[in-house]
Amino acid sequence: MIQAENLAFSYTGSPPFVLDGIRFAVEDGDYVSILGDNGCGKSTLVKLILRFLRPTRGSIEVKTKRIGYVPQRSDAAASGFPITVHEMLDSYRRLLKLRDKSVIEESLNRVGLSGCSGALMGTLSGGQSQKALIARALMGDPELLILDEPSAGVDQDSQREIYGLIKALNAVRGITVVSVEHNLEAAVANSTLIYHLSGGSGHMCTPRQYVSEYLKPKGDEDHA
Amino acid sequence: MLSYSFMQNALFVSVLISILCPCIGIFLVLRRYSMIGDTLSHASLAGITIGLLYNQSPVLGAFLFTSLCGGLIEFLRGYFRKNADLILSIVLALSVGTAITVISSGKLRANADSFLFGSILTVTRSDMILISILSAVSVLTLILLYHQLVYIAYDEEAARIAGVKVRIINYIFSVLVASAIAASIRITGVLVLSSMIALPVATALQLERGFRPTLIFSVVFSFIDILTGLFVSYYLNVAPGGFTALVSVAVLAAVMIGKKVYSGFRAAMV
Repeated sequence: MIQAENLAFSYTGSPPFVLDGIRFAVEDGDYVSILGDNGCGKSTLVKLILRFLRPTRGSIEVKTKRIGYVPQRSDAAASGFPITVHEMLDSYRRLLKLRDKSVIEESLNRVGLSGCSGALMGTLSGGQSQKALIARALMGDPELLILDEPSAGVDQDSQREIYGLIKALNAVRGITVVSVEHNLEAAVANSTLIYHLSGGSGHMCTPRQYVSEYLKPKGDEDHA
Repeated sequence: MLSYSFMQNALFVSVLISILCPCIGIFLVLRRYSMIGDTLSHASLAGITIGLLYNQSPVLGAFLFTSLCGGLIEFLRGYFRKNADLILSIVLALSVGTAITVISSGKLRANADSFLFGSILTVTRSDMILISILSAVSVLTLILLYHQLVYIAYDEEAARIAGVKVRIINYIFSVLVASAIAASIRITGVLVLSSMIALPVATALQLERGFRPTLIFSVVFSFIDILTGLFVSYYLNVAPGGFTALVSVAVLAAVMIGKKVYSGFRAAMV
């Protein structure tokens, strides 16, 4: 579904590159977590997948009709933007040209937010806000779901619910998931593959390999 | 008062701008682009003076020049990603520089002062026709692009993923802002025009409702501000622009105080 070949990116168009020599493949049905230190290029990689940025060198190909994207809890939601959950979903439905209004209620039911339709986005808790953004991403039945730190600013209970939901979407509905993660525990527990980014380049491995290669040598096995 | 034809003209235009300004303003305010409204309203002075210089409609001159400046802002956004505040300084320098040069050349046969402060007396029949066309086309465009504009303001990345042509719509929106400014300058004047764009929206935001109710309340507050400003300025014999700005600040203050009193009352009841 996603194929990156010798991908390199620099915001200035010349060295130093944020990403260099990136090569990976994400197959249909995979659940890939992208891990790495702050500033290693995780969000840049997501922007390249979403085509917000163009590669400086190499290529990245995404073969899917529809992508669902869950950004980090948006600044707009936090700043008191006057929009209700229903308005946010209804406008998005219209942008996707989905005629059936029932997709709004279906999406909210899927994430367990059916009672919050009239609430302002800015008044939702971190977990509810994230679920509302997942509900939006699920509209139009995407084949690929991309999430940027889905547990950021979310309490422990809501984190469990959100990861349970993402895992079910992947395992039951077959949606391919790519998630930028800072939550190692969740990444190791839920993903089928982990893409570890470091120094601008990356390496795809299984969660088990990730624990043995990257965590145990550092003495971080407690996280896993 | 309404038996005077100049007052009828002023009232007609005031009603139109009380609808148009907040409809544009809500997107400017929520995108934190209020200063773009301020810059473009100052930029319109250059269009007014160029219109007067060539004996053409100053409202049309303002619309064309402000549209050009709005497009220039969008264009420069790509060049000054890290210093976006510079863009407004550049556009302000270009437009105010043009206006001052034209005014100080002594070649203007008309007085541009009424456009600085606004005037009830200066709305002509041809202005009314032009302002009606600008308002009708703008409101229709806003209705057609409503959901795209909401999403660009709320979450631009999500809008892009949903297939919205953000850059094109930003250019169209620049023209809509120019249209609102050109429609308003006769009554409100250049100097306080941005208050008509931002303050009714700021007042409506105090009510903490969803997007559509906020938009409707913005129009209601704008209507109250502009009509109160128009009528009272007539009796006080002062420029309508300045007094309307004062009314809009007073209404905002009243709503903020009312909200505080109401929440205090509710807290006391619990």
